[in-house]
Amino acid sequence: MSKFSLSDKAFDRLNFLFVLLITIIIIYPLIFVISASISDPHAVNTGKMWLWPVDVTFEGFQRVFQNDAIWIGYKNTILYTVVGVIVHLFVLLPAAYALSRKELMGKKAWLWFILFTMLFNGGLIPTYLVVRNLQMLDTMWAIVIPGVVGAWSILVARTFFQQTIPDQLVEAAKIDGASDIYLFFKVVLPLSMPIIAVMALFHGVALWNQYFNALIYLRTEDKFPLQLILRQILILNEVSADSASSAAGSAQSFADQIKTASLVKYAVIIVSALPLLIVYPFLQRFFVKGVLIGSVKE
Amino acid sequence: MLKKLFFLIATLAFVSALYACGNDDGGDSDSKKGDAASSGDVNAEGFPIVDEDLELTFFANKPAQNEGNDWNDILIWNEYRDLTNVDVNWNLVSPDALEENRNLALGSGDLPDAFFLAQLTNTDLLRYGSQGSFLALNDLIDEYAPNLKELMENDPTIEKAITFPDGNIYSMPALIEEDFLSLRLSARPWINEDWLKELDMDIPETTGDFYEYLKAVKELDPVGNGDTIPYGGTAIIELVQWLSGSFGVMNHGPSNTNLDLDPNDDSKVRYYATTDEYKEMMEYINMLYEEGLIDQSIFTIEWGQFLANASDNLYGSMIFYDPIELFGEEIGSQYNSVAALEGPDGHQSYNKLSSSVWDPANLVISSDNPNPEATVRWMDYFYGDEGAELYYMGVEGETFEVEDGEAVYSDHILNPEGDMTFEQAIAQDLTWLGSISGIIKEDYFQGGETAPQSLEAAEKIQPQVIDEVWPRFTFTDEENRILQSTGEDINKYVEEMRDKFITGDEDLDGWDNYVQTIEQMGMEELLEVYQAAYDRYQSN
Amino acid sequence: MAKDQSIQRGKRATIKKSFQRNWQLYLFMMPVFLYFFIFHYIPMYGVQIAFKDYFATLGIWGSEWVGFEHFERFFSSYYFWRLLKNTIILNLYMLVLFPLPIILALAFNELRNGAFKKWTQTLTYAPHFISVVVVVGMLVAFLDPNTGLINHLLRALGIDSIPFLTSPDWFRHIFVWSGQWQTLGWSTIIYLAALAGVNPELHEAAKVDGATRMQRIFRINIPSIMPTIVILFILNIGNFMQIGFEKVLLMQNTLNSETSDVIQTFVYETGILEGQYSFAAAVGLFESAINIVLLITVNQIARKVSENSLW
Repeated sequence: MSKFSLSDKAFDRLNFLFVLLITIIIIYPLIFVISASISDPHAVNTGKMWLWPVDVTFEGFQRVFQNDAIWIGYKNTILYTVVGVIVHLFVLLPAAYALSRKELMGKKAWLWFILFTMLFNGGLIPTYLVVRNLQMLDTMWAIVIPGVVGAWSILVARTFFQQTIPDQLVEAAKIDGASDIYLFFKVVLPLSMPIIAVMALFHGVALWNQYFNALIYLRTEDKFPLQLILRQILILNEVSADSASSAAGSAQSFADQIKTASLVKYAVIIVSALPLLIVYPFLQRFFVKGVLIGSVKE
Repeated sequence: MLKKLFFLIATLAFVSALYACGNDDGGDSDSKKGDAASSGDVNAEGFPIVDEDLELTFFANKPAQNEGNDWNDILIWNEYRDLTNVDVNWNLVSPDALEENRNLALGSGDLPDAFFLAQLTNTDLLRYGSQGSFLALNDLIDEYAPNLKELMENDPTIEKAITFPDGNIYSMPALIEEDFLSLRLSARPWINEDWLKELDMDIPETTGDFYEYLKAVKELDPVGNGDTIPYGGTAIIELVQWLSGSFGVMNHGPSNTNLDLDPNDDSKVRYYATTDEYKEMMEYINMLYEEGLIDQSIFTIEWGQFLANASDNLYGSMIFYDPIELFGEEIGSQYNSVAALEGPDGHQSYNKLSSSVWDPANLVISSDNPNPEATVRWMDYFYGDEGAELYYMGVEGETFEVEDGEAVYSDHILNPEGDMTFEQAIAQDLTWLGSISGIIKEDYFQGGETAPQSLEAAEKIQPQVIDEVWPRFTFTDEENRILQSTGEDINKYVEEMRDKFITGDEDLDGWDNYVQTIEQMGMEELLEVYQAAYDRYQSN
Repeated sequence: MAKDQSIQRGKRATIKKSFQRNWQLYLFMMPVFLYFFIFHYIPMYGVQIAFKDYFATLGIWGSEWVGFEHFERFFSSYYFWRLLKNTIILNLYMLVLFPLPIILALAFNELRNGAFKKWTQTLTYAPHFISVVVVVGMLVAFLDPNTGLINHLLRALGIDSIPFLTSPDWFRHIFVWSGQWQTLGWSTIIYLAALAGVNPELHEAAKVDGATRMQRIFRINIPSIMPTIVILFILNIGNFMQIGFEKVLLMQNTLNSETSDVIQTFVYETGILEGQYSFAAAVGLFESAINIVLLITVNQIARKVSENSLW
């Protein structure tokens, strides 16, 4: 007995060191971004700033927060994310549960119906026409509904249900006369908090970060999400920055834009990511709690 | 019962959705074809263009520099609306999604009345033009665009650049006044004169001098610690294009990739990337690079880093825009300009300048436009002096003043309040930043290219500038097909190999192999296409 | 004959009965069904532009058929084999690192100190939010031949600086490992959630039997999350040919394109930038076809080797 506990202790120490090491490696970019956000961009651009802030300045944050559009963007993004996640879960969870049940007929057909969408898509234009015909253009629904659920989430969630909801439990409840709806809400959901938290997080983060649908489907600036505003503050076209060098007559303005961009670039990341970082520890709780509630009920 | 009802409703929902969606694509655009606007009311000359208010929708790219302004309510366009009675409803699209949005506009049946600087390529113009979605403007320009017409008569290049093999013109171009050399030069070579003096050297005149200077700078190391960068730039291509005049390639400007005129037979085009002259140039640049005279990070450098380096005064020479404007008086004034260098075989010309046709597709009129005549007139104004003044300078008394007969921006633009920069101040009232439109003239333009240092450089370069700069040629549909496959592949290969030759990743001993590969890729076919385009260009 | 009929009738009756008993399950499928039908299957007709010469104004239905022209053009491109090779190698490389987040998740799960666990998880997950543009910017700053930190270190050690960013040999390593650097913590989340679902009674029982921590990880934790691992692996394969192309594009230059040129960037350069939508669609279809073959193969293997598979 003592032998085991000793090796367990060694394991604990090694494990602690392993995680610590990984964290240190990964934490570096974070420190870099935070330091860069309050450093003089010149020091950042020339590689003088590589860990701690150099020539501290808060101008980047000032610039970001002076922009009124940012606050409107924040408000919109929060709205889109919250509504989007709710709709996402509403569509995803029942389907994933149904797919995890043996009684569902034509399982293979259903799976292919879903998988197929992961492999093939009709492209931008036909999708746009659907959104337009459903009168969703320039509304929140154009952000929330297209892409509300993907094959990936459904299949992963289904695996979770298969794994965590014992068949006996379902059968016993059914014999007691419980309907699937009752079962789903009263038994399955409480047992599935970890997966719900993960799916909400994944989809929420995706919605928070996405801008392309907004570029295509939204016209009114008051409805723009945060990411779109942030992209406008930064250089819009970083990928093809080189091509701008040929825009004669505006080299100055381009250079000027670059200077602003390098000033606010890192502040923008922090401003946009902070809410998500704060949310995570709250969700983390569910990874443990869900199981506890489940086992208590059983 | 409930479930049956449910399924019934669900099924109905799909069917109706299917019907609604399947039905529209294509259908919409069909109905629009043909009813190419009846000749609307338009005044033949003078303002207003139309007596009764005319509302037009323009699809336009909104460059990043215009962040925060709204073209639907901005001084310049309000002013022009009041002048013309043409009220343009700007549908502004950010460059991120320009391609997609333009395609949606074309494909969803919601054609705008015109595309304004929407980056339509020559390929697009021909495809949609010959298909009827864009109007042919030949007659309209004849009748309603006296300013453009005049420019076209003075500079035949313009007409050649916008006329397609089918004889039609589908767009009104954005132009640079031919004599406004400083703008056509874009980035130009500069050399650090303080260091020259320290080294007791003169401004280099030959490629040999230039090499000596770079070498001396590296040894001198004025920055210290070995951090001095003898030559730096934002991309290697700037250097290659500048030096091409010293080695006798690219003798008709850079608009057509790797194509120039055969010096031995002026009826033939030449793909110069396989010539001995080009090889010699590669050898020279390779020498510079391997000796550490060219910034070793030039292939990956970003503008931000380049600007930071420059303001740390690391560069002995560079190809860039106005140094004083961009790096400030203290550092910028150390630079003096260099013209073309004389190469080992006596070539000495300045080949790196853009055609006076900056963008063929400044304005493209769609078949849905209710009044193409008025639209052409609307655009034509910007090819004249008054229009150029309005577009680039704005309104006298509001955005500019006339001092000694010269237009100068008002004080609130030149010295904006608070954190605002010059460019941001301009963007509040004007929209030309990143959107060159109409004609840009030296007299009505104020920017880095008209700063004293840049003008001086242009003057120095002037005598060496090649006589003729080709615009981008126009091609037929069939030719475009070849360009997009064989042409793309070859140009990509040449570009990759160019950089590898320069860095030495690829040995110049392998030159024959390189030439052979290009031939195998279909050089002959590509050259035929170019030759045909050139023949048309000449005969137009 | 009559027997057949009665069997059929019997079958139909069972189906009907099953449906009546479980109709709520089908109700559960409805939102997903509707969504996929409307937003994925209705637009699916757009796939045909791969075989057409797409003209926006003619619409998808109205454009002219050109058969396999775009495919032929892609296959006969000088760069086809290079693109295919690079795409596959890059993906295989990333696939090899598939176990990393699993290992880290297992390690997280074993941590006893709650606060440490919480902090390390949050910190490792944070880099996910740094945009690709900035990550590449950091790489450039880091690996710059003149000013980069790494090359400073190398020179201090008496080693010549290495042109990491322009070297075809380094591109894959930099691309893949910087990707891990950014997403490792994020990828553990799903496994952590799976680990949270492991029945605690199993661990209790194992403890009583005297199993060590290591033994419990291998005998309880890993088998318990195996279904998740397998499913994620299969789904990963289903996206095999797709690479986050923005990052490749940002890291790509003429000097490293020998290894960095992948199908997506090629399509971007020659298809999207030039507005050749049909060509881009044809290449996309080609990728999907490869993916579908891979997906079926891997699923088949998974079903043989373990009991877990998609179908």
